[in-house]
Amino acid sequence: MSVASVPFSFSRLSLIAGNTFLEAVRQKLFNFLLLLAVGLVASAQFFREFNFGSSELKFISDFGFGALIFFGSALTIATTAQLFFSEIENRTALTLLAKPLWRAEFVFGKFLGVFAVIGVFCALTIGLMMALLWHREGQLMNIRPEDFANGRLIAYGDLLVVGVLQWLKFGVLAAIVLLIASFSNTNLFTVVTGFFVLVICHLQYLARDAWGNVDNAVLGLVVRALGFIFPNFQLFNLADQIGQGSGVSPVVALQVAGYAVAYIGVIGGLAVYSFRNREI
Amino acid sequence: MGWLFIASVTVRFNPAALRPFRAGAVVVLGLFAAGVALRPLEAPAWAEIRAGQPALRLESLKDALGQGVTVGLLGGFRAIVADLFWIRTNTIWEDNDLPGTQTSIKLVTAIDPRPLYFWLNGSRMIAYDMPNWRIDKAGGYDAVPEAVRLRFDQEQSSVAIKYLENALEFHPGEPLLILEIANVHLNRLKDLETAAGFYLAASRLPDAPFYAARIYAELLRKLGRNAEAYAFLQQLYPTLPTEDIGAMSNVVLDRIRELEDDLNIPGAQRFQPPAAPSAAASAP
Repeated sequence: MSVASVPFSFSRLSLIAGNTFLEAVRQKLFNFLLLLAVGLVASAQFFREFNFGSSELKFISDFGFGALIFFGSALTIATTAQLFFSEIENRTALTLLAKPLWRAEFVFGKFLGVFAVIGVFCALTIGLMMALLWHREGQLMNIRPEDFANGRLIAYGDLLVVGVLQWLKFGVLAAIVLLIASFSNTNLFTVVTGFFVLVICHLQYLARDAWGNVDNAVLGLVVRALGFIFPNFQLFNLADQIGQGSGVSPVVALQVAGYAVAYIGVIGGLAVYSFRNREI
Repeated sequence: MGWLFIASVTVRFNPAALRPFRAGAVVVLGLFAAGVALRPLEAPAWAEIRAGQPALRLESLKDALGQGVTVGLLGGFRAIVADLFWIRTNTIWEDNDLPGTQTSIKLVTAIDPRPLYFWLNGSRMIAYDMPNWRIDKAGGYDAVPEAVRLRFDQEQSSVAIKYLENALEFHPGEPLLILEIANVHLNRLKDLETAAGFYLAASRLPDAPFYAARIYAELLRKLGRNAEAYAFLQQLYPTLPTEDIGAMSNVVLDRIRELEDDLNIPGAQRFQPPAAPSAAASAP
């Protein structure tokens, strides 16, 4: 039975996603990075003495998001690449794709499995950070009640929104890594290229600023084109908005979420296309 | 013979060999099309995010990139990276290393321009410590002529003021930064007139500390503009909350009385503080 003869199946897709999720949480890498991130967030209060600039609660929040973004990015790239190539190296991909299974089901199943794993990572890290902030804020409210005349200062809803947006950013990153993996031959190449793309996506706005208006028309055009090819990851950097002015704007949050979801769809689709052209 | 050889070679065109290139081109074009299509969604959100985050400006980051802190910035550890660099700045400062300290101060605020602490203390190092380091390096206070010392003061003050003006780009209308500029003019450059202007500007901003207005009035007195100082303090006094110790309304009233004596104001024309609301009037 050929693939063309069976319709696209969400149940097959969810089976692959479930298996990918289970495989991922059993990995030492996931547990190691999760422990590191959780340990770092939990230890934020011990680094308070190093803080000179911002308020203590802001520092803990910055520190928590730092751990989330740093380890989350490492986890996304490494896990996506590892789970994809384990199927190829163990020859299970051959067995799977010999069955009436769409390559789109395979790629998006892998994506959803990884996305769920990163979701667990984000939920645990953000949850711990919020608990830590709540606890410390409660302590400070007892020590300096005059500073909290209008109640709690931290916008916990905003923290959650920024956490969800980070999760979506990791989703875009996972889709990019899957796209690279779809034509790459080795796990190492995929991981290294994934990190490079992460850096490019974070810094592409600087290139747009610096080179977008250069006199050399050709160079300017190339840079502007690159600005369109790579997603802008700084867009998800909303953690700084927390506690400033009116906080995180719901409209902006929705626009950023829409941007991420659209990119996941497009890059995922391109990964499927690229994977269909690949000989396994 | 050569062309015959070339003609005899059969170039076999294999379309399958082009498949990876074709796939790559489709991927790149797809990403480009997605970027173009999503720009209307990205642009308004990006404009709003950037407006609220001065740290995302190229001018802010260009000093920090390539200093080994990129990973920290990308990873989101902006605050902790800046704090660690601030500790390093203080270590360099202890060695009286002028170029090293100056570079490190600018690096810290390039990494994280949000905290005022870095800007204020960095400018103090530049304006107050560095002239002394230069004098020491030039042979000490006894060996360096007054004119050279003055030049060192002016040069370092100029750097500090420029640094604080840069800070104002990230914190527009921040009274503490304007006060710091005023302090440099007053304490380092001994320019009372300019300093008074900055103290006045700072005192008019929301959340300005009460002492900004008091120092302005004192500078007017030192400049011999007693009548102006008297008029200013008369306007200032009713705005001061009596219950706030920092407002020092009693000190302001004392100064008003001193100025009245200096200006020989007749008793009938002297300033009458507004009566505080009595307990009986406020009782239900």
